[in-house]
Amino acid sequence: MTAPTADRQTPDMRLILSRLRLGPVGLIAALAVLILVFSFLNPRFASIENLQNVLFQVSVPLIIVVGTTLVIQMGSIDLAPEGIMGAAGMAWILLSPNSRLDSDIGLWAWPVALGLGLGLGLVTGLIYAKLKVPSFVVTLGTWYVGLGIAILLYGNDLLPSLTSEGLARWPTQVTLGLPNSFWLAAFVLAGGVLLSHYTHLGRGLMAIGNNEGIARSSGMKVDLLKIAAFTIAGVLSALAGILATMQLGSGSPDIGFGQLFTVIPAAVIGGTALSGGEGGVMRSALGVVLLVILNNGLVLAGVDPDYQSGVFGTLLLVAIIAVAWPQRGRLKVAK
Amino acid sequence: MTHPIPPVLKLTNISRSFGPIKAVQSVSLELRRGEVIGLTGENGAGKSTLLKILAGIERPDEGQMEINGKVVQFRGPNDALKAGVGVVHQEQSLFTNLTVAENIEHQNLDRRGLSRFGLQDWGRINRDAAAVLDKIGVRLSPKARVGDLSFVDRQMVEIARAISVVSTSSGTPLIILDEPTAVLERAEVEVLEREILKLKKFAAVIFVSHRLDEILRICDRVVVMRHGALTRDTSTTGITKGELFNAMVDETPVQVSRKRAAQARTNTPALEVRGLTSAGRFRDISFAVHPGQIVALVGTNGSGRGALARAIFGAETCDAGTIEVGGTPVSHWSIGRAVAAGLAYVPAERKVEGMIGGYSGTRNIALVHPGQGRAGPFLRPRRMAKVAQDWFDRLDVSPNDISKPLGQFSGGNQQKVVLAKWLNSSNLKVLILDHPLRGLDVGVSQAVNAQIRAACANGTAVLMIPDTIEEALDLADDMLVMRDGVISATHDLNNTHDQHALKDIVAEMV
Repeated sequence: MTAPTADRQTPDMRLILSRLRLGPVGLIAALAVLILVFSFLNPRFASIENLQNVLFQVSVPLIIVVGTTLVIQMGSIDLAPEGIMGAAGMAWILLSPNSRLDSDIGLWAWPVALGLGLGLGLVTGLIYAKLKVPSFVVTLGTWYVGLGIAILLYGNDLLPSLTSEGLARWPTQVTLGLPNSFWLAAFVLAGGVLLSHYTHLGRGLMAIGNNEGIARSSGMKVDLLKIAAFTIAGVLSALAGILATMQLGSGSPDIGFGQLFTVIPAAVIGGTALSGGEGGVMRSALGVVLLVILNNGLVLAGVDPDYQSGVFGTLLLVAIIAVAWPQRGRLKVAK
Repeated sequence: MTHPIPPVLKLTNISRSFGPIKAVQSVSLELRRGEVIGLTGENGAGKSTLLKILAGIERPDEGQMEINGKVVQFRGPNDALKAGVGVVHQEQSLFTNLTVAENIEHQNLDRRGLSRFGLQDWGRINRDAAAVLDKIGVRLSPKARVGDLSFVDRQMVEIARAISVVSTSSGTPLIILDEPTAVLERAEVEVLEREILKLKKFAAVIFVSHRLDEILRICDRVVVMRHGALTRDTSTTGITKGELFNAMVDETPVQVSRKRAAQARTNTPALEVRGLTSAGRFRDISFAVHPGQIVALVGTNGSGRGALARAIFGAETCDAGTIEVGGTPVSHWSIGRAVAAGLAYVPAERKVEGMIGGYSGTRNIALVHPGQGRAGPFLRPRRMAKVAQDWFDRLDVSPNDISKPLGQFSGGNQQKVVLAKWLNSSNLKVLILDHPLRGLDVGVSQAVNAQIRAACANGTAVLMIPDTIEEALDLADDMLVMRDGVISATHDLNNTHDQHALKDIVAEMV
């Protein structure tokens, strides 16, 4: 009596292919190719100045993508970052030395602004986990709630600008060869990796993304983990909002505009499946770097600004198709 | 003889019903440390429900359950684990994206030592997992990703996890292995057997299997279930397979409600497959179904019959072989083409694959063959409603409300509508039924069977996967027995049909 064995003897080619394509090695290789091509097209691309510029640009989406990845790993989605960034950024600048209000509370501006993000994230998580509303719509809601708070804070007045030289210069200042913005992002990234690989929370989120039913039936506190993930994402969005405000030197409700378009594709390119359970913070971060370099390189390569959006979008599609290719299956459901 | 130590498991008159169906009827069972009992019975005999009760997934309606001398009432799977019941499920319950060690230890992470300052101690987790793997003599890297492992290795991980969890509880652990051998090779089965012998030293084991020779070899005692009740509980020494078969199947002759050989077989089969092969699931399958004929595919779960039915319907790809519909070979086979060619498929997973629960009966029936219900791209709601109302009346669907979401109907009535969805075609050539009567009571079963026969009388060829052999004997003209991915026997039921054959059929399956 022999049982069917073929599936065990031939290793699953799809799995191997997906590993090859999705692995950090593939990403780093793609990154290297991009850098080579862009350096060839415009030597200025590889200059120290431009690299520092890239690191400066990459900081804000890097901070956001850590939270987004945690959320996507458990099979949910977070669309709120742009709104939370606006709310936290406006709150922060109005409580710091600014051109509009005499309401500077010094360092206390930080906990207040971060707390705003924490609150919005917590509410998102509670609605999602306890009331079982799909994260897609919940975060669509919190996005606009955040935006609404930012617009209220903005009022009909002038945009507030930072009056503290120190604060305005901090993001671009270079420490040990790298801009401070990037150091902040790197610090968050390290925390994200630690959380994702070494804590019950991080591993629990992966387990939920793989199979929530098993996670529940093996006694994990699934609701609590979900709420924690959105809360962390909220705090990180707020932090990104503060950093972006500092980088710009003035507050704006629209401070997060366009970030979602970098962060979610970056996570997918990095191999974080939108269905959950796959990928990692570090890989999403590589995805962010890839997309920012792509954008920066296109500008430096002299692509007509009128074409840039179209070219960027097309390259994004190519990258995502390459990532999804191994997972095509007859009855595979993509949503 | 008195035992100073209470039995590891003691069940007293445990019962569980689902609607009118008594899945488990007044089962009493005792199990002691160091004992390995084999639990067997046909598909649908109630084994799974009994295991779910032990695992805390289902609650018994009646009866008492004692573990290590204590009366327990499980509110969930966690309670069962804490009491020391570890179940290795048929459907694997591992996180395929995590490592072996994480899967083994994740339920123990609250224990001291595995995490410090909220950070997991990977070294410790891997060491602990390695120790468990070592204890059961499995050579696997704790750092390997479960998704990359073979099926047998995953099974070992499941066993390791069950042991690691229950060994933290006091008392003797009870390990339940739910058909662990169904998908294993000979050599792998031997590994598992050695495994079970090691488990005996510190645990009690329930080994569920369809394969009687394995049960006789591995177990000390064998327990046979039939129709939810225990029909035999005996030592494995001195009992023969034949006696066990008798305990598994009904002694009363099966009622045959169908007129056999009423249909003359035409020369062209409605469906013919030749040498159909799908790596790892089934191989070299050849048979034909003629118009007006009912062919039953019997076999255990995992025999490949479900995959075969899905492949014929185009839902899964094949590696080799041909499918002919109405004498014409098909190419680029897909569900869309299958439906266009006049095939229909009633899936076993009714709620997931067979219907759209939020849609009304009307819209569900119009899903596949909109026919008169559509004019160009536009729907014709009144026409659709009329078609649906006809089917609701004909099949006596209750409540007779075509606009109510189908999800709110009972299982039996849902199945009637699912059937109507496919029967509502002027071009139905082949009807594939995967467990058409699953979870249905007698009355609804008869109504469904009547529709199958009516379709047959109209010249439709039927390929069915029945829940029980009795069901096959009741309806089918021919029976194909599948085992381990191949057809192991065929029976022309119009010629031979008696109790003796039934027993042999069971023997061919296991």
